[in-house]
Amino acid sequence: MSIERSEPTFGRVSRLKGTVFEYLSLGASVTGIVALGVLLIYVAIDAFDLVNASPEWLLTYYVTLVLPLIGFCLYSANDRSLIRRTAFALGGGLVAMALTFSVVESFVRPIPRLTWQVAYLFVVVAPVTAYVVFVGSREPIGRTGFGLVGRVLGGTALGLSLIILFTVFDERLWFLAYTLGVLPAVGVLAYSRVNPSSPVSLLPVPVALVGFVAASVLRGPVDVYPTAWLIYVWTLVVPVSAIIAGLTAQRDGETKQTAAIAGVAAFALIGGGSLAAGSLGVSSEHALLVLLGSGVPTVMFGRRVVASDTGRVGLFLPVLLVGGALAGALIAESFGFPAPDPWLDASFVTSSPSRMPERAGLYPAIVGSVLVIAFVALLSFVLGVGSAVFLEEYTVESGVVGATTRLIQINIANLAAVPSVVYGLLGLGLFANLLGLGFGSVVTAALTLSLLILPITVISAQEAIRSVPDHLRQGSYAMGATRWQTTKNVVLPEALPGIFTGTILALGRAIGETAPLIMIGAAHTVFSPPNGIWSKISAMPMQIFVWSDFPQAEFRYGVLAAGVVTLLIVLLGMNATAIILRNKYESGV
Amino acid sequence: MATNGKADTSSEEETETIISTAIETGESRDRGPTESPRTVVTARDLDVYYGQERALDGVDIEIPENRVTAIIGPSGCGKSTFLRCINRMNDGIDACRVDGELRFHGTDVYDQGIDPVALRRKIGMVFQKPNPFPKSIYDNVAYGLRVQGRAGEVDLDAAVERALRSAALWDEVKDQLDSSGLDLSGGQQQRLCIARAIAPDPEVILMDEPASALDPIATAKVEDLIDDLAEEYTVVIVTHNMQQAARISDRTAVFLTGGELVEFDDTAKVFENPDHDRVEDYITGKFG
Repeated sequence: MSIERSEPTFGRVSRLKGTVFEYLSLGASVTGIVALGVLLIYVAIDAFDLVNASPEWLLTYYVTLVLPLIGFCLYSANDRSLIRRTAFALGGGLVAMALTFSVVESFVRPIPRLTWQVAYLFVVVAPVTAYVVFVGSREPIGRTGFGLVGRVLGGTALGLSLIILFTVFDERLWFLAYTLGVLPAVGVLAYSRVNPSSPVSLLPVPVALVGFVAASVLRGPVDVYPTAWLIYVWTLVVPVSAIIAGLTAQRDGETKQTAAIAGVAAFALIGGGSLAAGSLGVSSEHALLVLLGSGVPTVMFGRRVVASDTGRVGLFLPVLLVGGALAGALIAESFGFPAPDPWLDASFVTSSPSRMPERAGLYPAIVGSVLVIAFVALLSFVLGVGSAVFLEEYTVESGVVGATTRLIQINIANLAAVPSVVYGLLGLGLFANLLGLGFGSVVTAALTLSLLILPITVISAQEAIRSVPDHLRQGSYAMGATRWQTTKNVVLPEALPGIFTGTILALGRAIGETAPLIMIGAAHTVFSPPNGIWSKISAMPMQIFVWSDFPQAEFRYGVLAAGVVTLLIVLLGMNATAIILRNKYESGV
Repeated sequence: MATNGKADTSSEEETETIISTAIETGESRDRGPTESPRTVVTARDLDVYYGQERALDGVDIEIPENRVTAIIGPSGCGKSTFLRCINRMNDGIDACRVDGELRFHGTDVYDQGIDPVALRRKIGMVFQKPNPFPKSIYDNVAYGLRVQGRAGEVDLDAAVERALRSAALWDEVKDQLDSSGLDLSGGQQQRLCIARAIAPDPEVILMDEPASALDPIATAKVEDLIDDLAEEYTVVIVTHNMQQAARISDRTAVFLTGGELVEFDDTAKVFENPDHDRVEDYITGKFG
């Protein structure tokens, strides 16, 4: 280095270790994801019988259904480079996949049960579609379209779950409980809103409880009831219409008249629609519940979109999808393309288990699982948040109480690591034997699984509560708020998204548990859905486990895979609901 | 609440001239009648310990009504500790122990029968870092009245508007009362916190370095505001900034290391002719 040079030289610092570490971590995460991905692809192929899907059949639906959907998203995103990249990925992926397969098959070995077309579908088309849907749904047109489709699908799911709810539970008891408990309590609540200082404001909960007790007492003696349809109208349609009218009245620039019209319109839509469906041969009760779930949010969303100026074109997305599916079916039918015969179809999720694989279904196990999980969600949320609030906000650090708290704290962490079989034993001994809640009943299963995930919910709720900044608590205390007011108004609203996240993860574990259910004596197979919280149930993982032992190959490949996919879909549906709720809560002020 | 609503807030120009005069002459503003005002908070031989460590050492002080009392001193001298004793915010710290006497209108604050929650409803507080709740501006200001169960008695909308006007924030936020308090700038957030503190109409407002996290313009606004607040409220303000204490306060208390209250007198006297050499050293920057 010559003296005259004015620029200093720094040399280079070795980044070798860092680079190696970076790629090792990348490799580790990718390995796991790829392994799971391959497994899921094979499970999906079995569940939907894609082995027997002819290339022509796949191509038909690719052209009529998938490409229009991608086109819609690209139109919504309105981004030239995205269009270019999508086309490149779809086209390049096709060539690459075909080449890879032919090379591997001719030089290495044939790949079992997987054609390059199906692999292209899963490896290229599915991720690309997901990505453009994600991008497209953030623009006004896409937001409208997917918002509408989501409301229709989610609302229908809600309606179907209402139907299942009323097949499990007695609608007449609900009728009494609503009339004697819910309605008076709401009345008292409304009165106390108008006169906040009157002592009546303390009464809603006691009134509701008295009503519920009265309902359960009267259910036996009283034996004259309206029909199920009238009960649904009285307990569901009337309050929903009233709420719609109330919401409309609250919106800016709406008169009382329009509000009343909105309420009456909702009432007429659901009531009239269900009667019309009844005359067409569909059960009018079921039609009413589905319309209640899907019709109301869909129409309200549609009205809002039409009233606003942006993204109205998106309302055609459902037409595009339904039309594409119909066109695909028509073409495949008329040309006689060999179509797959999926194991996972409507009859699989609506019929009972059977010895014959073609007739086997998962319905009772789905209802059992969902029912148990609903109770688990409720119990573990209440108990978990309660204990977390106590441990974080109420206990002191010193003295006997402090020592006890620390002991509890350590034990909660340990309990999270206890194997699930042990919890099953606890459930068997405590709930089923000692308390007599029934072997394998909904209550026993729900309590056992709640205990199982309670440590996880408590710990995650504690983390969420701890992450609420202390200056907010200080601010609240300095305003003269009590500890309870601070917790309720400041701490919990801030912590709730985090608590939701933890609970979602924990519920995902609970729904897949088999060992504790075996221990508490849940049935391997039941042939009818539970009709109350005391009846014996099976659950999806139990039924799937049983199927894996059947001698016929159809069970081990087709039916089992269909069960697994159903379990995953239910799980994802639950998570999606919880995430949507959480995001709504986060975005709201 | 003897003098509530006594006077409207003084006009902008008047405030500005007063402040500039205060800066130039180092003299504090003359407020109200010349006879000595009533005492609101009295401390006698007040000791505070954190575990074994002594944070306050025999503090004697009488804080006058409807005046701005500034508390200055080097870091760790117990300024904030003293402030947080007045509304018992130190109760949340397990290791904290208070000896001696601290009276609010003659009642011992640390008496067995005193409910700290009820006490805090008479004494508002503003913190060093703006800490609005993640709620709407309206809900932030209405929070005190709501938790104190007074939302039904008063006209909530009017109370919120009055508090925001007193905090000189109304004109800036009146069209966005439903948007989150966190969307405001730092200075606005601090004024929102002041509005929140005065909405339930306390008697005393404690301020713990309210302007230390703000830029000079926002600081000037908050200082204007403190000056106006003294018309209606007793203000106790902890500050690091001696110019600020000189500008806005009527009385100044100087705490020095070890938690001792070394000097407490009229602000002009403290800054121009302090009795103690240690105070003079601290004020002129030779120490601390």
